Amino acid sequence: MIELTINGKKVSTEPKSTILQTALKNDIYIPHLCYDKRLAPYGGCRLCLVEVEGQKKLLASCSTPTEEGMVVHTETPKLHKARGTVLELLLVHHPLDCPVCDKAGECDLQDMAYKYGKTESRFVRQKKSSPSDIRSPLIEMSSNRCVLCGKCVRICGEYQGCGALGMIGRGFPTTIKPAFGDVLECDYCGQCIDACPTGALLGKPYKFQARPWLLEEKETICPFCSCGCTLTVGVREGKILRSRGSEDKGINKGDLCGRGRFGFDYIYNKDRLKTPLIRLNGELVPASWQEALLYTAENLKSVINTYGPSSVGAIGSHRCTTEDNYMLAKFMRNVVGTNNIDSSARFGHAIVQNAFYMGFGVKAPPIRLDSPLGKELILVIESDPTVTHPMLGLNLMGAAKNGSRLVVIDSKETKLTRLGSKWMKLRPGTSHALLNGIIKVLFEESLFDRESVKNITNLRAIEDLTKGLSLDNVSDITGIPKGDIAGLARDIAKAKSRLISMTLGVSDNTKGLDTVLSAINLLIVLGEGPETLQIPAEFSNTYGLYKMDVRPDTGFEADKGVVEMLYKPGGLKAVYIVGEDPVVNFPNASKITETLRALEFLVVQDIALTQTAGLAHVVLPASSWAEKDGTFINAEGLCQTIRKLVDAPGQAMPDWQIIRNLSLAMGKDIGAGRLEDVQREVKDLLGKESYCFNGLLLNPLPYARLKAADGDYPLVLVIRDLLQHSGSMSTRSRSLSLVVADSFLEINDADASKYGISDNSYVKLTSPNGSIYLKSKVTGLVPQGVVFTPTHFPHAGVNLLTNERTSGTTVPDMVRVEPAGARPER
Amino acid sequence: MLSDKTIEEVEALKRRYPDPRGAILPSLYIAQREFGWLSPEAFEAVSIVLGVPKAHLRGVASFYAMYRHKPVGRHLIQLCTNVSCMIFGAEDLVSLLKNRYGAEVGGTSPDGRFSLVIMECIGACEAAPAMLVNEDFHNNLTENNITEILEKYK
Ligand code: SF4
Ligand code: SF4
Ligand code: SF4
Ligand code: FES
Ligand code: FES
Repeated sequence: MIELTINGKKVSTEPKSTILQTALKNDIYIPHLCYDKRLAPYGGCRLCLVEVEGQKKLLASCSTPTEEGMVVHTETPKLHKARGTVLELLLVHHPLDCPVCDKAGECDLQDMAYKYGKTESRFVRQKKSSPSDIRSPLIEMSSNRCVLCGKCVRICGEYQGCGALGMIGRGFPTTIKPAFGDVLECDYCGQCIDACPTGALLGKPYKFQARPWLLEEKETICPFCSCGCTLTVGVREGKILRSRGSEDKGINKGDLCGRGRFGFDYIYNKDRLKTPLIRLNGELVPASWQEALLYTAENLKSVINTYGPSSVGAIGSHRCTTEDNYMLAKFMRNVVGTNNIDSSARFGHAIVQNAFYMGFGVKAPPIRLDSPLGKELILVIESDPTVTHPMLGLNLMGAAKNGSRLVVIDSKETKLTRLGSKWMKLRPGTSHALLNGIIKVLFEESLFDRESVKNITNLRAIEDLTKGLSLDNVSDITGIPKGDIAGLARDIAKAKSRLISMTLGVSDNTKGLDTVLSAINLLIVLGEGPETLQIPAEFSNTYGLYKMDVRPDTGFEADKGVVEMLYKPGGLKAVYIVGEDPVVNFPNASKITETLRALEFLVVQDIALTQTAGLAHVVLPASSWAEKDGTFINAEGLCQTIRKLVDAPGQAMPDWQIIRNLSLAMGKDIGAGRLEDVQREVKDLLGKESYCFNGLLLNPLPYARLKAADGDYPLVLVIRDLLQHSGSMSTRSRSLSLVVADSFLEINDADASKYGISDNSYVKLTSPNGSIYLKSKVTGLVPQGVVFTPTHFPHAGVNLLTNERTSGTTVPDMVRVEPAGARPER
Repeated sequence: MLSDKTIEEVEALKRRYPDPRGAILPSLYIAQREFGWLSPEAFEAVSIVLGVPKAHLRGVASFYAMYRHKPVGRHLIQLCTNVSCMIFGAEDLVSLLKNRYGAEVGGTSPDGRFSLVIMECIGACEAAPAMLVNEDFHNNLTENNITEILEKYK
């Protein structure tokens, strides 16, 4: 530790920390415009000047390291004068249009001018007056207000890994803009907006909505992915106007992705449900709560009476709170009397849980979003966490920047393949084969400590399995050269610390139980534990719903999950779906539609009239995430509070209340008069989780060669998430839809010309299950033989093509493409 | 696109620095040689090889006056018109270049042969007026010898 004195106060600090960092940590404020703790010191604005005894010059505290015995002064007349002059110079060209600037009131430049500035400037020059660049969908650039601190450029390039902005030009005319002054096309994370100390970068949706000091700001948790970021949400007159990150707050410490920042307006979509709906003569018509609940209760009771409780099933929701999900599980078990309950987690988190139990012998995978930091070698397998879990993505990029070797195994070019140390291009869906190949090399070259793992069950069986493999064969299947596979195996074996990072979600059609288990096999052989395999839960409350036992597998084989509920027409008689749109989100949509149509009774409870709701007999209107209190549990298992920020539209109600009322209508009181009652029970359930360790087990799994491409369906269809969306609810956000409003099909140039497809034209995509129409994007970013499309968009109907993945193993989706007939040009 | 040989040249530069950003200036010169000027394609190509975003490359390039920010003719004349050169008749040379070849200051002759850029003192006052043609240096210019010199640049 280093001891120094700042303003007469003795403070101690870590070696290598700067004067500014030390001061801020000790609650001594030094003004600064260009410093950001996420970035390397820059020393550009000269506002952070301090006096150090024994030094003639004033020093920039943000880039001066502390030294033992230093005596620092931060507020002297000399400094005030210097800062005043710096501000005077910064304001020479500034338009001083604070009255019409959205930043006014929370603008660093304004605050500093208020504190140190002079009312008049001695320098008279032309004010900057170029028009704002409003072409980008979400971000407005008003370069007149820019003081060229460069924070936006550095946040975007150094931290966000995007590099969309540059400081173009020299001297006063320098402008922050994309390379050639083109339209800003980027991640739309909006990190630059929060970083900018002036009103030069603004979020367009918030433009002229309210003066910041009139906003009521409250903290809540993001409704999208399982990172569970803390959002600071600004509300005025009962409406959410913006969301931003607050420095140091939450697991995200102020960082946000575009979904968290701009996506909240999905709750203002016009298809929000305001009253219950009952199907009458084939039409859904508005009804009162009383009518709807009695109607639902009667029908459920009659199904139960006729066919028994096990003819009823329910689907819970990753979008709903832990309390909502708890109540649904309780309703099914105590009121209906069945364990038939499941969720989207069946396609992701449940598989991971299962695999961890089978292999590592533990129940909950220990997830840490910061686990990449400091690892020597990180392997990312057919995933892009910068898209699905942006905060984990930032840590992966941070690790790579600080010297971790990041090897990305993927079929598609992504941010990580660009920023990582090595990109191994693999045929989609074959990582299982690759992992087996790596294990083979470990055995062949005795690259692991056999002695320490010799007692683990199936070690021999794994060895035998890999003996039967030839690397040539693995290379054939995966498309990765033999030497690279062996090289990777040696690197993994040699590394002192390692991590495998991947994601598994409902839209994933290139990975499954087989992939997870073979990754676990690899790690066990190397003597690693469960914390070296990071597969975070998918959505904001996927983890929570699983914890609330919204799953069938709590003991009885006969319990029905998603498979029996949604893919077996005639299997069940009534289904109650809460906050999920399986017709859009789950694979093989036509099968699901057929199954739901065959039901005697379908209840859908959601915030909007989804495609699934369109099939229901009764639709119950629920409050969205911003309209109720409760908790979300993030990927790390952190239980965080979400808050009621605004009123629900019409008669919509929190899900847990609807479920309680429905129980009452069915003649059973399941308690839960108030939210606190539910939360007490939830807490008990969370507390019950006992640590379990069942011992390690290797699960030898031969790679079954994927169904080879055939003449009819020659292309592999890979479904990937988009950065601007999460599930399908986000497509109801107006802001996010400004960035990507519709689905598309990415196809390699060579394939495109082979099948006669031109860029940006309509193509017909056909699988054995059906056909859909998409706009094409011809690109070099995807390999030949593979086409990519995002999930998310309800109208695109991608899941009309996909196969059920009900066993948890990878099932490839094969398709063919053709031009969608002649469309008149222009 | 850069040729394989040029890519290798840039790669080699990249390897010489701990941070690829160190190789930006020379790499841009290579791209400029290849593309004739710093066109969007030139930035794109360097960006791919160095792994530095093109907004950053353009930011760096736009700081320096001596990169070619617009397409130039086959030969670039950089003529000094500072005090010494001016006294010895540099302005007449500017007119001559315009009348004889159609090369305006900051522009290119219609046949694409010469581009003309006016320089501040290039440190050859003792033999003014002076100019650079591409990388060749010429001094003691007169209205007669300049046309002779330029004959060598087709
Ligand atoms: S929104 Fe994000 S990606 Fe876009 S310019 Fe700003 S920091 Fe860069
Ligand atoms: S736009 Fe804002 S953050 Fe970027 S350089 Fe200008 S003042 Fe700084
Ligand atoms: S979507 Fe995920 S990363 Fe983005 S703000 Fe929300 S919780 Fe954070
Ligand atoms: S904060 Fe130190 S120079 Fe800008
Ligand atoms: S003034 Fe022309 S070379 Fe110095």
